[in-house]
Amino acid sequence: MKRFLVIALLAVLFTFGFSFKAIMVTDTGGLGDKSFNDGTWAGIKKAGEELKIETKVVMSLEQSDYVPNLTKAAEEVLKEKDGGVVFAVGFMMQDALEKVAKQYPTVYFACIDFTPSSTLPNVIGFLFKEQEAAFSVGYIAAAMTKTGKVGFVGGIAIPPVERYRYGYEAGVKAYQDLKGKKVTVVRGYTNEFSDPKKGKDLAISQFSQGVDIIFAAAGACGNGVIEAAKEKSEKLAGKGLENIKKYALSGKALYYAIGVDVDQDYVAPGVVLTSATKGVDMAGYYGVKWAYTGQFKGGTQTLGLKEQGVRISQLTYTKEIIDKVAPTVLKEIDYLQGLILKGTITIPDSEDALKAFTVKGVKLPK
Amino acid sequence: MKKMFQSIAVPVIAVVIALVISALVILAIGKNPIEAYGSLIHGAFGNQQAIIDTLIKSTPLILTGLAVGFGFRAGVFNIGAEGQMGIGALAAATFASNFGGLPPAIAIPLTMLIGMVAGAGWAAIAGFLKAKTGAHEVVTTIMLNSITTYIASFMVTGPLATGYGSPKSPEISTSAQLPILMRVGAMELSSGIVIAILAAVFMYVFLNKTTSGYEIKAVGFNPYAAEYGGISVSKNVILAMAISGALAGLAGVTELMGVHHRFLGELAGGKGFDGISIALIGQNNPIGIIFAAILIGALRTGSNEMQFMGVSKYIVMITQAIVIFLVAADRIVRAIYARKKVEA
Repeated sequence: MKRFLVIALLAVLFTFGFSFKAIMVTDTGGLGDKSFNDGTWAGIKKAGEELKIETKVVMSLEQSDYVPNLTKAAEEVLKEKDGGVVFAVGFMMQDALEKVAKQYPTVYFACIDFTPSSTLPNVIGFLFKEQEAAFSVGYIAAAMTKTGKVGFVGGIAIPPVERYRYGYEAGVKAYQDLKGKKVTVVRGYTNEFSDPKKGKDLAISQFSQGVDIIFAAAGACGNGVIEAAKEKSEKLAGKGLENIKKYALSGKALYYAIGVDVDQDYVAPGVVLTSATKGVDMAGYYGVKWAYTGQFKGGTQTLGLKEQGVRISQLTYTKEIIDKVAPTVLKEIDYLQGLILKGTITIPDSEDALKAFTVKGVKLPK
Repeated sequence: MKKMFQSIAVPVIAVVIALVISALVILAIGKNPIEAYGSLIHGAFGNQQAIIDTLIKSTPLILTGLAVGFGFRAGVFNIGAEGQMGIGALAAATFASNFGGLPPAIAIPLTMLIGMVAGAGWAAIAGFLKAKTGAHEVVTTIMLNSITTYIASFMVTGPLATGYGSPKSPEISTSAQLPILMRVGAMELSSGIVIAILAAVFMYVFLNKTTSGYEIKAVGFNPYAAEYGGISVSKNVILAMAISGALAGLAGVTELMGVHHRFLGELAGGKGFDGISIALIGQNNPIGIIFAAILIGALRTGSNEMQFMGVSKYIVMITQAIVIFLVAADRIVRAIYARKKVEA
């Protein structure tokens, strides 16, 4: 009898389920950036499918959309019997989120890439140690460059973008210290995150200054950087991964881009050398899950290498090329990442720390 | 009378046609256009919050529309409202975040004035270059837009940064913030909307009731005839650009003092360019511009609600693009209109 009751109860629960909603509000970059907004959305959707709950996305076109969109999303969540969670994706939404979250204390909010200026019990802020992933791609870039010049294209110089840059430059510096190869970094910013054309223009100008590898931490602008590298390399090697590979493996110089936020290696196979990824998808996933299971705790969650919140991409298309041009570099990166995990080296997260950064005490294993 | 009817009919017909075409697009993506439009209207006017949101979005659009429209009346194509809006807001923000001690009665008008003067000066550069060297304002104002972008990003990451490393200025002092007319939840309607409407009244009176306005219009109609009639073309070109720039600067100032309360990296966010389409839809008439701006503001506000129904925001951008296309090519509409009359 008891067992029957339990089964019946479970059946009822299963049919009616939970009425819980997860709504994501994008920043002006919007979906389709192949990076940050898309990554978070992928994580939210995954959690939604697993937990069988409804997920929705709302795009913001301008900055004055943030307050109304967050408000509408919160209202929508309030209508649900079991509540839900609202995601604010992107650093620029901080002001708006603080205003709205205070109006709706019973709604959960999750912020990607920022955290409110004071702790609110219903708001969780996900931050990342971008520098720990960027360090590795900087090291690879320094090893792969044939011109001794590598580029950095940032969006707006906000903290997450700058952390990517600190890590990238630290990686370049580490390679110089350990190998004695002189590599300089050329920097530029697009001043926005949505127009690929601006990224492309900047990339073309950096290539013309002798840069041959560019790391783009610029949201959707980064797609323009990848396009510029692709056009340049295809002109030399011909179209398609096979041609690029053949050309590169013969030891000739090509142009490369490095992706950001999510694994962008597939965007231009062979041309995107690697990507510095951060687990925005994990943040999306856990944001939903914690809100659903009641484990949600207001405050800041910082995800780094240790938490598997940041990493470099799988190198699906470029592993052979990297192994050929710089045979030891991937092993060295494994070793250095081990040192980061152990705390032997700390990757800089500020301009001052970057200036002071050195790996002179480190000995690479033979 | 007939002319007035025509100038109202063109945009109205254009909007209707655009909505019909967009409805077909909505049908094509498998949604119900009636429901979609229902949520669009509900999202724009359905409750107090929606109306406030629509008015907030329309305020800067009215002002940039007036800026561009004023330019058109004087025969100059001010494509630089975007930059003038930015530079106006930037100057005002620099002032208002540093001089906090003033009482509102002085701080508010002074901050506004500084923003308007900055916008006017910025546009007058292009006016001066056109008057003295013949450099076309479309080219120079676009270049000034780029300069503004870089000055702004330098300021918000350097001298005007919050110190927290984000591209925004500190909050302006409360005495320089525009009074709030209405507050619902987290949404605040500032008195910026009143300023925008007053600006439209100013433009109407200036163009229709003053000698300077008459001269500017004369230069816009036919500069050679105006010159022959003893009106200085170069003086009026510079003056027209300056007034146009002041209106755009005011758009930036109301956004700063009424909405964001700080200068953000991309404060103008394309609203300067929206001004061009709004001036077109509003037929360069101040009252027409108010309605055009509210139309576009309502479409954008409503589109947020439409997204909750699963209809993409881009549908509204298609609608807007079709309206602009039809108004710009209003001969098509007029041809249809004329033929109908013949048939009737």
